[in-house]
Amino acid sequence: MKRRDFAPLLATPLLARALPARAQPASARMLTVAQPNDAQTMDPAKHSAFPTANILFQIFDALLTQDAAGDFKPALALSWSNPDPLTWRFVLRQGVKFHNGQEFDATAVKFTFDRALDPAFRAPYFSRIAAIKAVEVVDKFTVDLKTAAPFPTMLYSVYEASFATLIVPPGEASVNLATMPIGTGPYRFVEWRRDDRVVLEANPDYWGGAPRIPRVVFRPIREIRTRIAELRSGGVQIAVDIPPEDIAALDGGATKIANIASDFLYFFNFETLKPSPLQDKRVRQAINHAVDVDAIQRALLGGLGTRIATVLPSNAFGYDPSWKPYPFDPARARALLAEAGHRDGFAITLTSRQGRYMKDKEIMEATIGFLRRVGIRVTANYLEPGVWAQVSERKGREGLIFGGWSGRDPDLVWYPLLYTGQYQSYYTNLALDALLVQGRSTLDEAERRRIYNAAQAIIHEDAPFLPMLQPPLIYGLDARLSWSPRTDSMIDLRKASFG
Amino acid sequence: MLNFLLTRLVHAVAVVFGVSVAVFFLIRIGGDPSALFLPPEASLEEIARFRHLMGFDQPLIVQFRQFLGRALQGDFGQSLRYDQPAMQLVLERFPATLELSGAALLLSVVVAVPLGLLAAVQRGRLADRVGLFLSLIGQSFPTFWLAIMLILLFSETWGILPPSGRGGWLNLVMPAMALAAYSTAIITRLLRSSMIEVLQSDYIRTARAKGLAPLPIILVHALRNAAIPTLTVIALQVGALLGGAVITEEIFAYPGIGRLAIQAISNRDFTVIQAFVLFMAVVIVSINFLVDVAYALLDPRIRRR
Repeated sequence: MKRRDFAPLLATPLLARALPARAQPASARMLTVAQPNDAQTMDPAKHSAFPTANILFQIFDALLTQDAAGDFKPALALSWSNPDPLTWRFVLRQGVKFHNGQEFDATAVKFTFDRALDPAFRAPYFSRIAAIKAVEVVDKFTVDLKTAAPFPTMLYSVYEASFATLIVPPGEASVNLATMPIGTGPYRFVEWRRDDRVVLEANPDYWGGAPRIPRVVFRPIREIRTRIAELRSGGVQIAVDIPPEDIAALDGGATKIANIASDFLYFFNFETLKPSPLQDKRVRQAINHAVDVDAIQRALLGGLGTRIATVLPSNAFGYDPSWKPYPFDPARARALLAEAGHRDGFAITLTSRQGRYMKDKEIMEATIGFLRRVGIRVTANYLEPGVWAQVSERKGREGLIFGGWSGRDPDLVWYPLLYTGQYQSYYTNLALDALLVQGRSTLDEAERRRIYNAAQAIIHEDAPFLPMLQPPLIYGLDARLSWSPRTDSMIDLRKASFG
Repeated sequence: MLNFLLTRLVHAVAVVFGVSVAVFFLIRIGGDPSALFLPPEASLEEIARFRHLMGFDQPLIVQFRQFLGRALQGDFGQSLRYDQPAMQLVLERFPATLELSGAALLLSVVVAVPLGLLAAVQRGRLADRVGLFLSLIGQSFPTFWLAIMLILLFSETWGILPPSGRGGWLNLVMPAMALAAYSTAIITRLLRSSMIEVLQSDYIRTARAKGLAPLPIILVHALRNAAIPTLTVIALQVGALLGGAVITEEIFAYPGIGRLAIQAISNRDFTVIQAFVLFMAVVIVSINFLVDVAYALLDPRIRRR
């Protein structure tokens, strides 16, 4: 049992010897996960938060799931196909029971989707499934999801990170889901003490095989120092969102570190709709040349995460490893600025929030520093989240915008961020618009790859973004725990085990 | 006396009403929670649709009338995040906060009273200087820093106390210490200065002159008179402790109303913020009311004013 003494001078050896160092040795029968926030509800369709989703994903299953590589795998649906471009057909798993004994079949799928799609139900993640126009039961174990237009990203809408599509039981059992969740998942609900803990127990009859750890507890611990203290003292076995600077101290002895590059994207996009130097392509390219993203990644994220060549996760559909970001070349940046008539540089605003994502403010400050070296003077305007939402709603983000986004398909990233007139778009390019529409209008994967390759050529040349990186997800773990993180940040305890 | 009580009661009701009006409009100045509640990719139409469903698009005065009408019937609305009655969420968490604040108050008094007495009696000597130094520390160290240091020492380094959560009394030790620091300092300093003042008064000199032992003089004659201002401050610290619990609860992951309030504010969960502020206003106004009444009972001059 190894501990690191922060204050050896203050430590009284007598006291230390008299009492056990680890308050409660973690038993192999229980796994406690510490994340910043508590569940908002136990109803999968009534929230919009990952900490809640992480809990509910142990209780419920979706039609599909993902493997470690991020590929879709069968869950409650065994296979899927497109009988026509407007239909996604799912053949369902048989012999699955909900925790209350109810049988899972096509009516449960129809009930789940109809419930979340009802506008009066007010599902926060309605937008993820809004393309589904009708759910038709073909037979007891086959169901069709109908769309008005081809919907190539359907699978992202029906796997667990789409939240509202975790399958709930129809009828009586669905009435009290908010406090008494009943799913088909590997763990059954035991107790929810609000702001304190959610307790789950293994479902021995789980269709995917009984989980190895009999009891799971999720605890909300917002303060990172407290999460780390709990991990070190054996109170929790998974602590999420560990800062990069704590990795060295936690990776060894009784604890270890697991990290993975997330699907999330760090980048700047440029306000190009209003008159400003950013309307000139050469200025946008200059910014891309001026910032040493690799150095930022090394210095602030300990080299973790993945550098991206465009604003798309490197594990997204259509991402081509041959794509390269603009090289760091301050001389080229200055030359481009001079060519654009900004020999003495210019002043510009940066609009963002701070403290929302790991190291976001530090990364913005570092970027500002690099830009200052080529003569671009940036004034940061950090907004409170509520104000940011208001400003965004009236399309008032200015200058360089650090907003964050995720999505593993170009249609989920480029369409909302670049298509002319979209709520989040501060850019317009009709040639690109045409390609983005084509890309979302066909289910043909080869065709879509070709379209998005052409789109990326435009994006690279026209530089509406400064792509940076996919930040890492860093977890502190009990050294005996065997568990792997996922790029979409969903916590899956189906295969977790001790020893 | 009855007149006095009635006047105070009317004041109390007016304060609670004023606070609820103020908080209703203040939290709405910063915009409504629709865009925060929906996922980032939600379209403008969808935000507008949600806003309409929630009634946030109505004029403020209409919303206020609805709020007031329902509040008078005891309905403070549903929490947007939790989809449950807002006041119920607040009341559910209050016992935990009361437990924490109570423990902190007890700790403050148990530490501050002997410390303040000792400092006054030993004025200018070592015990006084130590007492003053400790209370300076207690007053000036930020709660969050103190809390994190406690966790580092007691949980990480020595491993003798659980770092967070609510359960046995062991879970209360560190949060109560962190929360009590400030109150302890205030009470110590106040008791010290009142005692010094009292110890210099004529009747104490008389008591000494007639040969009474030092201990009865301090505990019986002096403390009784020095206690009145101290008791007032202790009563007022109850409100401060309940409010101070917000930060302490967050750091120690303690499931009280402070955590609920912080989350509600960052999520713009209007109904929960309103219920929280209203509830706290009632609690603090009630404490002040009781202090006033106690004062009036102790000091007849106040009643007549």
